[in-house]
This record gives sequence, C-alpha cells and structure tokens, in this order.
Amino acid sequence: MFAEDKKKISWVKRLFIIGSLFLVIGVFVAWYIFTDTFDDTNTQKASFEINALDLIKQFEKSDSIANKKYTEKIITVRGRVSETEIVDSIINIKMIDTITNGTILFAFQQQNVDDTKNLKVGDSIAIKGSCSGGVYSEILETEIINFKRCLIIK
Amino acid sequence: MKKTIMLFALAGFTTLTFAQKKKTTTSATISFDATTKLDALPKAENKTVVASINPKTGDVAFESIVKSFTFSNPMMQDHFNSAKWLDSEKYPKATFKGKITNLAEVNFAKDGTYSATIAGDLSLHGVTKPVNTTATILVKGKEVKTTTDFTIKLSDYAVEGGAIAGGKVATDPKIIVVANFK
Repeated sequence: MFAEDKKKISWVKRLFIIGSLFLVIGVFVAWYIFTDTFDDTNTQKASFEINALDLIKQFEKSDSIANKKYTEKIITVRGRVSETEIVDSIINIKMIDTITNGTILFAFQQQNVDDTKNLKVGDSIAIKGSCSGGVYSEILETEIINFKRCLIIK
Repeated sequence: MKKTIMLFALAGFTTLTFAQKKKTTTSATISFDATTKLDALPKAENKTVVASINPKTGDVAFESIVKSFTFSNPMMQDHFNSAKWLDSEKYPKATFKGKITNLAEVNFAKDGTYSATIAGDLSLHGVTKPVNTTATILVKGKEVKTTTDFTIKLSDYAVEGGAIAGGKVATDPKIIVVANFK
C-alpha cells in the first residue's frame, strides 16, 4: 500500500514538472511572438534591384503578374526624385514616369526619416524597401506602387 | 486706379479658380485601431493613401493599398492580410467615394475651420457599405486639411474569426483619415 502511494506521488511529480515545462515554453513562445518587430531594412538583402521606370512599366503591363513577383519582397529601386510630400513630420518620396504618370510612393521607416530631409527634386538615388504592391488608382487614373519601411542607400 | 481694381479682380478670380479645382494627394494617412483590453497589437497606419477633394462638387474619395498598412508586429500584419481577414491578395485595394452633403456651409475660398457632413460608400474586402461621418475641414490659403474618424463593423465587411469572437480584436475598429491637400 505504501509503495503504491509512493509510485502515485512520483507520477504526479513527473506530470507537474512536464506541465510546468510546457507552461514556461508556451509563455516564452507567446512573449517572443507578441514582442516581435520587423527587421531593420538595412540588415535585409534585396531580392531585386531595378530602375524605377522599369518597375512602373512592369506594373502597368500587368499588375497581377508584377504583384506576384514583387509584393512583400525587399527591393532596391534606382531613380530620380520626382516629388516629395510631407506627412506629419516625415517625408514621402515619389518617383514618377512623366509619360504615363505611373507613380512609386516610398514611405520611410522611422529610424531613416532623416535620410529624406535634404533630398531635392531631380536627385538621383537608390531606395531599399518592402514593396506593398501596385494597383490602378481611379483617383489619379494611373498605376500606383507603394513601398514601406524604406531607407536610402548611401 | 482702374489697373489696381483689375489686379484685385484677377487675384480674386485666381484664388476662386484654385479653390474650385479638384485637389489630390498621395500622402494621406489612415490609422486603423482595433485594440482591446486583451490585445494592444491590432493597430496599424498607412501613410501612402491617395485622396481627393473637389470643392466645386463636394466629391471626396480615398484609395489605399491594403498591404501598405504597417503594424508594429509582423504576425499581426500577416493576420490582417490573410485570407481569413482582409484577404489582400484577392482584394488589394480599399476605397471610399462620397460627397460633402452640406457643401454650402464650407467656404473653400476663405480661411477657416469648417464642419462637414460626409456620406459615401466604403469598399473593403469585396464588400461595399454606406458610411456617414463628419469631417473637420481646415482652409488656410491654398491648403486644405481634412480630418475625419468613424467606426466600421468588421462583420459588415465579412471579416470574422476567432480573435474577433474572443475579444482580442475590436468588432468595430476606429478609422481615422487625415488628408492634406496643397
């Protein structure tokens, strides 16, 4: 009788230890997922490097094909600054195809907003960022392509 | 004297013409807040929204690429774009088309802050529903700044799931739209 009780206690102990272990792992995984943030674009390798006008042309030709190829990929885009627009305290950069008005809009990541302060229209630059895809804008009547978490390659 | 009067008339005409022209911006912002007491993560912002306002007709509109919404948390952003939520692969764009219904009370040619009522249709996740809201319109010289906020019911747009039912995501998130037209 005494031996059986001892065996039972030992199983309860084992279950308690295993349960606690799972609980600790679970808490750690949840903490990791919920406090996770996006990697700095600076540390990420670009999947594509492309000229702005070529990128606009590809989206204008077929945005469904271009979206499959480029959306959510890190891309380096080379081109000239066509316009700058101030949003709150930060600046969005635009590269525009002057023939079709097709437009790429670049929104910068917080740690790189200062990169844009001295930029002027006509400056030739390279921007790395995450492509959010492109759609036809009924308001602007042209193709627009968005980028997020951008930085300027120096 | 005649010349001066002519110059003032020309300046007035130019201002009026400018005030009547359709204005657009590609840097409007939309903030999306679906946070609850249980979860502070479902919160995003998009700073590359295309918007327009036509002072003559009162037409207002905005368009947003759904994948341009940025969350602080990658998992939350994935959920937001997933097939169960906004399915941004299938429905890449969210749009609003509406009208200022009290246009006579907004003077785009005179500096000031005006309260506008707006009625329109919001298309999201392949569903279009009417939205009625009020907006603050700030006119300062050639600049027009509009600010509006409203709530939507996610179930109206066929967005449902365990996180919403479980109270981790608000059933009626708050949307704030700010557009600065120059």
